[in-house]
Amino acid sequence: MAVEARKIEATAPAPGTAARPRAGLVTTTLLAPPLLWLGVFFLVPVVLIFLYSVNVFAFFPGTQAFTLDAWKNFLDGSPFLDLFWKSIWMSLLVSVVAVVAAYPIAYYIALIASKRKYVLLLLILAPFLVSYFLRLLAWRVILGDQGPINSLLYETGIRDEGDPVRMLYTQWAVILTLIYVYIPFVALPIFASLEALDRRLLEAASDLGASRWQAFRKVTLPLSLPGVIAAFIFVFIPTIGEYFTPVVVGGVEGTMFGNAIADQFGQSLNWLNGSVLSFFLLVVVAVLMSIFARFLTVRRVATG
Amino acid sequence: MSTEHAERNGRRLGRDDFLKLGAATVGTGVLAACGAEGAPEPSAGGQTGQQVEERPPIEQEPGDLEVFEWAGYEYPAYGGKNGVLKPYVDQRGKPKFTFLTSDDQALGKVRAGYRPDMVHPCVDYIGNWVEMGVVQPWDTSLITNFADLEEPLVTGGQVDGQQYFIPADWGFSSPLYRADEVEPEGGEDSWTLFYDDRYEGKISWWDSPLENFVIWGYVNGVADPWDMSDEELDEARDFLMSKKHLCRNFWSSQTDLDADIAAGNIWIAYAWAGSYVAAKDAGLDVVYSEPKEGRLGWNCGFVLMADTENFRHAHEFVDTWSSTESAEWIINNYAYGHANTSVNLANVPEDYVAVFHLDDPEARQEPNAHYAVPVSTERRTAYAQRWDEVKAS
Repeated sequence: MAVEARKIEATAPAPGTAARPRAGLVTTTLLAPPLLWLGVFFLVPVVLIFLYSVNVFAFFPGTQAFTLDAWKNFLDGSPFLDLFWKSIWMSLLVSVVAVVAAYPIAYYIALIASKRKYVLLLLILAPFLVSYFLRLLAWRVILGDQGPINSLLYETGIRDEGDPVRMLYTQWAVILTLIYVYIPFVALPIFASLEALDRRLLEAASDLGASRWQAFRKVTLPLSLPGVIAAFIFVFIPTIGEYFTPVVVGGVEGTMFGNAIADQFGQSLNWLNGSVLSFFLLVVVAVLMSIFARFLTVRRVATG
Repeated sequence: MSTEHAERNGRRLGRDDFLKLGAATVGTGVLAACGAEGAPEPSAGGQTGQQVEERPPIEQEPGDLEVFEWAGYEYPAYGGKNGVLKPYVDQRGKPKFTFLTSDDQALGKVRAGYRPDMVHPCVDYIGNWVEMGVVQPWDTSLITNFADLEEPLVTGGQVDGQQYFIPADWGFSSPLYRADEVEPEGGEDSWTLFYDDRYEGKISWWDSPLENFVIWGYVNGVADPWDMSDEELDEARDFLMSKKHLCRNFWSSQTDLDADIAAGNIWIAYAWAGSYVAAKDAGLDVVYSEPKEGRLGWNCGFVLMADTENFRHAHEFVDTWSSTESAEWIINNYAYGHANTSVNLANVPEDYVAVFHLDDPEARQEPNAHYAVPVSTERRTAYAQRWDEVKAS
């Protein structure tokens, strides 16, 4: 199967080979604005944050002298570092569950629901019609001590009234809410990769005697893997720095790294430390991204 | 809903902040280039008529007054079109309110470049605001109700003999608890209720860098809870870290706290009078306690930003805020005290007068209550750093 897959892939023109001549000027003109934008609003701020984190630059008057103290404090067993690992763990869990939960949905819409495909897709996107904050508030009601879940438990006598299952303001409330929020985001790239799947491969698999499960495992899944990994990144990267969801449903134990960063720049007025945390987050995310990218190509080589 | 406001404002401010920060950076350069001429000299001017004459008449001001305010004072019945501030709103239009959640958060935002016309900080932070060089003294001759304001509060708002701060509201901070669910240890009210293992998951501390350490200080009888040494702070931090699992959350918006109390999520909380009123209104059996270590107290008011273009608007707004009608509304609706002394307490619910000692100035004095005192920036940073560690742990 894998051989076939590669052959069919190879018939598509490789990107970047089309229309080379006279492209220079046009390319430059088209690329200049976004590059300038990225430079001014991304690269420059990143450099400033780094300079801030070693105390050679500050917006406010004070003594500026190069020092790694803030970095040392952070890396030397500070609670912020523990919080960082906790956030990574939470993001990983959210990403894996969201991808696993979204895959069957995307699979159904892309491969089974032929006619109603786009109606279903719109339905998946329907939650976006409601503001993010309102959806979080709804979760706060659902998970509350007097919310529908606990009320049901009281009604059925599973729990005594006044002895609710504590759901709101926990780490699990954050994880659950994030999974809920990200499933539509995750379903889209998986859907796109499944949608692009050449059905003839499945027919061929079946002709060659593969069971449906074998066909899925050896054809569908490997070919949709780029979509799955893209989906994973879609969730993992933004949730590491998540700020607002923990604020609304997280309480004391649901605090994440993004909240610590916000505090440093906000009420603690400790921009030096805040810069260290921000830059560290940025570096780790960049490293993870490059690892994922590598993983992606290796998988392709292996299965192709 | 004020959280929603806050969120919306937060987002909008994010962009504004950025633009203003840019403008401020450029402005700083220009100021530096102009030398001393351009920079406001804190020792000059003050409440003399001279400063006013240089100001354009009110008609020439932009009039888009922006007030950096605690959530609750924008509430339609107070700050809205037909609210208590109507005399101002009718004539000058509704001010734009943006919301602060704590003094430290407000300082942080202004430090990052946010420039409203006026802010509502508390008096213990006045030094920090003046030190930062972003505020100017009020011209008290423009505030007709100024003479009615309580003398000690007025003098408390002076720095270097100038009125940088117009006192507005005051009140207590104390543990609020559900009388039907909570039984204080030994039947005696104490701040230690915050550390009571029996109520795990039902407690909410205020998310503020200072107060949780100050409370620990009073509970443990340290020499000066508002000026603790690094060693004392470290000990307090370790203790708070060991007890934070008892908390459901650290609240930052009073509206959120009130909703959580009403929903039964929280039984014990660091609270202001407004939360007592809200819980009573929700039909809950709550006690606003009198801890044996003493309640904390606060007094907040208005500062005027140095570069406001709405100088006269701001004065008119503060004047309306300082009126007897305004004071009565605030006492009746939030049970806070007000700096205006001309209020007839016969028009106020007896319960509020009794619980908050509105008729007894001594209840606001040591050792009955501990009013917040100024804390140096250096100490404040030491407190804040440890509070962040508690939160991150």
